Amino acid sequence: MITMFKVSLASISLVLAAAAWSAPQKLQEEKELELVNFKSVKKVLQQDGLSQSVKLKEKKVDAMKKERSVVEESRYTYPTQDEMWGFISEYWLVKNAQLLQWDFQKPDYGLEKSFATILEGMGFYQKKFKILLLNNPTLVRAALPGNEGEVILLVSVPFIRSLDLSKLEISLLLLEDFFRLELGYFKKAVETEKLRTLSGTSFLGAKPDQSMIQEVLKKYDQQINETGFTFQQQFETTKKMDNFLKSNPELWNSYFRLLGKIDRMVKSNHQYKDYVRLYPSPEMQVKWLSPPEKVL
Amino acid sequence: MNFFFFLLFTSLGFAETTATDERVVGVFYMNPLLGHVHQSAVKESASLTTIQCAHPVKVIETSRVKTDLLWAYVEVADHRGFILKDYLSEKRPDCFQARYPKFYDSLNLDLAELYYWGRLYDHYVQGLTRVH
Repeated sequence: MITMFKVSLASISLVLAAAAWSAPQKLQEEKELELVNFKSVKKVLQQDGLSQSVKLKEKKVDAMKKERSVVEESRYTYPTQDEMWGFISEYWLVKNAQLLQWDFQKPDYGLEKSFATILEGMGFYQKKFKILLLNNPTLVRAALPGNEGEVILLVSVPFIRSLDLSKLEISLLLLEDFFRLELGYFKKAVETEKLRTLSGTSFLGAKPDQSMIQEVLKKYDQQINETGFTFQQQFETTKKMDNFLKSNPELWNSYFRLLGKIDRMVKSNHQYKDYVRLYPSPEMQVKWLSPPEKVL
Repeated sequence: MNFFFFLLFTSLGFAETTATDERVVGVFYMNPLLGHVHQSAVKESASLTTIQCAHPVKVIETSRVKTDLLWAYVEVADHRGFILKDYLSEKRPDCFQARYPKFYDSLNLDLAELYYWGRLYDHYVQGLTRVH
């Protein structure tokens, strides 16, 4: 009897061992999870506001993802038009540094104060200007668009010396260029369709269109060195100067004398023969400013 | 022998003053697109190195180097030189390169262009008219 009991006990233990071996073993973590009955604690967690904080976190992550994609996209955008003008103007100055010869030791004419005083006197406030003196006799003067509310004015030191200009006269020359730029002639002449349409847009997934910059730089060259301004544009600029300076006879007389000086020099000095083509013409400007002759 | 000690102590005293005399005023950041660390406090002086906008610059004060009100004596990497104070800001500036990095990189500015762009800011005569 005892032997029978022993045999049956052994067989039962064998069967149990085999069953245990055949069942897949659970991980420690799974066992731990089984111990926690989430259903029973769900209500407690909800009361703690845990699910609410999970939702808030999810929203935060979504917002961060969106923000990151906006930042990533902004890395692939062209500068806005206002920023583009200043950038291209400086790029043109850098590309033509050797030709324009602005990297030289120059005299201090005290133009920052003198020109600021004239602008303020005309009622132009919060205007930022950058004046660059050139050691180049052929490029006499130019006004380039800068960033928003800013102008870049170029003027030749050899030209200033040839005419022996005072700082007031240089400032009047700069004021004329400032008005010419304000009237929008330069931008109109050099702006391209690509610059207008691409500025401020995204080029995500493509290379930036380099031809846009190259085309505008080429137009800068043409406008500054070859095309210049028309008689009509010069007339409008001169009339604007006339209107603004009328209230200050001292300045008006200085401007009138300055135009006479330029007229005489461009007629006598062969070096400045291109000046009349680019800025037609000092002689006409003097006529436009002169009072009409009375016919008796 | 006494004379030797006198010389030794005086030289040590001198070394002490020159070493402690120097102080870092703070870390400032380059403001324009590009700029130069100049060899001397003159706009046209030689460039030691070209740095980009937002580059950190250590401004130093020392009795050994006299600067006028317009210039700061600075340390950038291994170079010590001068930068116009107008071109330094206390806060990291919002630079063109950082706003439009891919556009700026695509221009592939060469060394000469980087050099001249930095020089350009030194040569500008700048002004801003006042608010009425």
